[in-house]
Amino acid sequence: MSYSNNEVIQTDHITKTVQRSSLWKEVMKRFFKRKMAIAGLIILLLVFLFSFIGPFFSPYMTAGTNPQEIHQAPSLSHWLGTDHLGRDVLTRLMLAGRISLTVGIGAMLLAVTIGGILGILAGYYGGLIDQIVMRIADILMTLPGLPLLFIMAAIMSEWQVPAEQRLYIVMIMLSLVNWPSLARLIRSQVLSLREREFMVATEVLGLRDKRKVLNHLLPNVVPLLIVTATLSVGGAILSESVLSFFGLGVVPPTASWGNMINTANTLIDFTNRPWLWIPPGVAIFVTVIAVNLLGDGLRDSIDPNMKGR
Amino acid sequence: MKARKYYFILFTALILFLTACNTEMGGGEESAAAGSDGEDTQSVDVVEDTKIEASDPASSPELALNRGNTVVVGLQEPGGVFTPHFNTSGYDGNVQSVMFPPLVDIDESGEPYPRLAESWEISDDGLTYTYHLRENLKFDDGSDLTAHDVAFTITLLHDPSYPGSTDITEANVVGGLDYKEGDAEEIDGITVIDDQTIEIQVEEPNARSLTMLGGEVLSESYYGADYSKGNLDYINDLHLKPLGAGPFKFEAYNPGEEIRFISNEFYYNGEPEVDTFIYRTSEGDSQQFFQTGELDYSAFPADQDNFELLQSLGYANIDLYTSSNYSYVAFNHESEIFQDPNVRIAFNLGLDRQAYIDARFQGFAELANVPVAPVSWAYTDEIEPFPYDPEEAKRLLEEAGWKEGSDGIREKDGEKLRVYFFTTDGSGGNDIFVTLAQENYREIGIDLQIEQMDFNALLSRVDNGDHDLVSFSTTMQPDPHIGVEAFHSKHTSNTFRGYENPEVDELIDAAVAVSDINERAEAYHELYAKLQEDPPMILLNYNKVLAGTNARVEGFEPNGIRGISPSLENLRIVE
Amino acid sequence: MNNYFVKRFLYLIPTLIGASILIFFLYSLIPGNFIDTDPNLTAERKAELYALYGFDQPTIIRYFIWMGNLFQGDLGYSLQFQRPVTEVLNNYIWSSFIVAFASLFLTWGIAMVIGVISATKQYSFFDSFITILVFGAMAIPSFFLGLIAIKFFAVDLGWFPAGGMTTSGADYTGWAYVKDIAEHMVLPVIVLTMLGIGGLTRYFRTNMLEVVKQDFVRTARAKGLKEKVVIYKHALRNALLPAITLFAFELPALFSGAIITEQIFNWPGIGAIYMQAFSVRDYPLLMGFTMFIAVLTVISNLIADILYGVADPRVRVK
Repeated sequence: MSYSNNEVIQTDHITKTVQRSSLWKEVMKRFFKRKMAIAGLIILLLVFLFSFIGPFFSPYMTAGTNPQEIHQAPSLSHWLGTDHLGRDVLTRLMLAGRISLTVGIGAMLLAVTIGGILGILAGYYGGLIDQIVMRIADILMTLPGLPLLFIMAAIMSEWQVPAEQRLYIVMIMLSLVNWPSLARLIRSQVLSLREREFMVATEVLGLRDKRKVLNHLLPNVVPLLIVTATLSVGGAILSESVLSFFGLGVVPPTASWGNMINTANTLIDFTNRPWLWIPPGVAIFVTVIAVNLLGDGLRDSIDPNMKGR
Repeated sequence: MKARKYYFILFTALILFLTACNTEMGGGEESAAAGSDGEDTQSVDVVEDTKIEASDPASSPELALNRGNTVVVGLQEPGGVFTPHFNTSGYDGNVQSVMFPPLVDIDESGEPYPRLAESWEISDDGLTYTYHLRENLKFDDGSDLTAHDVAFTITLLHDPSYPGSTDITEANVVGGLDYKEGDAEEIDGITVIDDQTIEIQVEEPNARSLTMLGGEVLSESYYGADYSKGNLDYINDLHLKPLGAGPFKFEAYNPGEEIRFISNEFYYNGEPEVDTFIYRTSEGDSQQFFQTGELDYSAFPADQDNFELLQSLGYANIDLYTSSNYSYVAFNHESEIFQDPNVRIAFNLGLDRQAYIDARFQGFAELANVPVAPVSWAYTDEIEPFPYDPEEAKRLLEEAGWKEGSDGIREKDGEKLRVYFFTTDGSGGNDIFVTLAQENYREIGIDLQIEQMDFNALLSRVDNGDHDLVSFSTTMQPDPHIGVEAFHSKHTSNTFRGYENPEVDELIDAAVAVSDINERAEAYHELYAKLQEDPPMILLNYNKVLAGTNARVEGFEPNGIRGISPSLENLRIVE
Repeated sequence: MNNYFVKRFLYLIPTLIGASILIFFLYSLIPGNFIDTDPNLTAERKAELYALYGFDQPTIIRYFIWMGNLFQGDLGYSLQFQRPVTEVLNNYIWSSFIVAFASLFLTWGIAMVIGVISATKQYSFFDSFITILVFGAMAIPSFFLGLIAIKFFAVDLGWFPAGGMTTSGADYTGWAYVKDIAEHMVLPVIVLTMLGIGGLTRYFRTNMLEVVKQDFVRTARAKGLKEKVVIYKHALRNALLPAITLFAFELPALFSGAIITEQIFNWPGIGAIYMQAFSVRDYPLLMGFTMFIAVLTVISNLIADILYGVADPRVRVK
């Protein structure tokens, strides 16, 4: 977590615009050399197709519960069997994928936005802004993560949220817990960038703050943001499943991978009905590995000197 | 908190289910419903209560066989307050019931029987209770247990600083309020006649006073040594050092691990054969511990899966019995929607409860028709449960002014018929109920929104009246009054606030004003019929409990009202 | 340079005050309280109990009462256990500690070995294999891992106990007792280790790769030292240095209890108690515990900073 003291990305910038495009070309070139990262990317694309396009090929999309077909083992008509309400597990797995991926990406986007903006502001302006932002982050980071999630879940249970929008609550919770460490990371990156020649040059040229930040600072923070963001998607998907375990995640009848595992976690289901828990378990496992391989590959290619964490 | 997540109920005064199954947090045992089209669902037969002998006792895990003269039972982690009447956790109540027999206990059908008291008399006007204690009663340290200790206990419960939840004022002891709120130095209505006899005067007859006044006894010389009126803080130091008079006496409490008891040589009914009795504490599921032999006794949620599992364990004696608790969905009676009784009836008719019960319990639970379980003397099967009749439900809603809107959801004065259903978190079949109820209600034009939260948040929000529907499961019900008292307009507990029906009030009062069980049963049947016309809730099901005992131990006789505690004194290891 | 430490130390005070405010007010926003746990209470009895426990005071006043007691080292009185919070914490924290300690030890040991080997053989089969394994361990939800472990190792194979800390009714003493506890620890420790090992292995690998490229390592090689000596004596030592700070960050985790793992394995630790206290809204215990962890976190951050300063003198100037 906090072992990222000086993740300066070592790329030389002399004339920015020209540099930038060739920098990205370099990155792409390096990235495509990494087989594992490519594999991660491909798997991830497949998971997306499976979740978002897949359900359209399922004959059970609109089927509700079916008491006649409870707990059926996999067969030709139900490739992954049926659950305790006679619903098709494969279809639910795909629909759950939509929710889990949305939560993962949504939580990441929110956290990166909050953490990124605050981190850049704190690092760039320093002084009072820095003090305020970083003190708040410090204070939030003294609280243990899981208890903080429980507290927020309990508080947010008062906001009459319809069940199908529950995933937004989950996103907000996860991003509130995650932004401080992100802000800290971005801030230290900005701090070290500020001392670099090209930023000093903007100072000399008398550019406006807005231009300095948007045109010169931001592009140099983006690579780090992309890497951290990618890696945090996996974390968010796992966190959602843990929240589901505590009954605080996405609630039934809406399916997520987390609550699918959760409705099947008695020892009896474990022993007698593996089709209930293996598919969502594997889905989480494969997706998170793929995300991490991709993020790892991106980091290595953006930062060839392996300076990052 | 699954591992299962869910905690059981932490209610106080009542003794709960022993042991933990996968249940959910707090009392909201939820449920779920089944089949969308109820008509063609083949119905599942209700499984009769039954006992099945272990097929192969020798197949027990070594761990259990080597345990010797010690019996281990699972229990949810208690709060560590082992003084009766002072606990807030129901699991503390389970611990206490090992050490503290009451004067008058309740048997498996809810009828009183003598424990520490050998006999009792109630005057014809129902205003005088006389208890005759057994001879030579002793606490487990060998000191005498007398009528003075009984008087002390009742006085203590009237103390102004008493922090527990036993509400003794319900018994209306003469002079009780003068002690609690005034500056009386003692309670006038309590008279100790001799060491074995105590007489208590009450102001109004109440059928429940017999067991309320004849409860567990605290030793005056032990719990009352430092007593002065208005200051009970000193008792906190005794919570972990209980002194009782039960079959077993307290030996040690290792938080998070176990509570250990040893046999009590001073027990009035003879010292038990088992030397050591242990409550092993755990959070949630205890099934794996029964399978590995760490527990000799465990209660499982009753369903086909668990039943088959127990049968497959050759060393398990199976005891399937009906509990005195039941599950229901309460209406918010302060909400506009539910002012009209016909709307509440429509909600009852529009839910295919049988389909839900079949899907979730596969015959291991029964559709409830009245707010008392079949084990009680007050039960009647003459009152028909609401059938599943969506057409009639639609008609009633239509009549009440709820007309179908363009999206199929009914409307009245521009308001959609959207109801919020509160439930505690998680699995355990909860998703079966919410899924099926949502489908059923959509069919008759009701938009059911589900909100899931932890049990405490649920109670607090129900208290605020944020809900429309909320699902609950009762604790074990030793007296039928407990199931209906909340329907009384004078009763101020939060769940049925706003429910007012003068006829119901009268019938409730009438049912506790008489002591004779047959007369009381009649009164309850009349009340239940009245409730059917103005339903305060949607009754779901009576629960069954599936108890597994390792065949190396005999003597466990769990019942639906008191659990295993009355049978602990008879435990024996089979050689 | 002492200025730096003094300044750093002074930061503790506003952070801790901020944390105390946040903790108190967050908990007070949670719906429900201890008395609500019993739905059978009548409104009158509830009001009586509210007054008895002081819940009828305004939040801000309760905060100052709480803070006042905190300064005297009094964390309050647990409502559920009816014992002082410090006593309750002390009852449960040590069983959490032994599990956390064992798994910390294993995690670091294994991560160090694997990380170093992986780094010295970058992009080899071993490296890829380990990368996949490590990513795999990082991709399983913790509760799921625990349940699978119970199912296979405890129930099916019977190798280890399914949960708890001791065998009830066995009455072990001396070594047998220690062995009994050790057996109960195996599964939770394995699960915790698997969960923690991923990130750390990656960290050691990257760190090592970085050090290996530095001049002094090249010099050592040029001097003709054996590769083993170069790696394990010179490179490893330098790669370890920054890890020491990381280690300091792990200190609070030793006491904070692993909520999920303890829950699943029925381990009588503080994490499991926290969950239980949460479900009945035992606020003094919840707040006391959270504050305790906040203090530990702040202190260990300070230690990490100081260690980092010792390891890398340049930081102090800033």
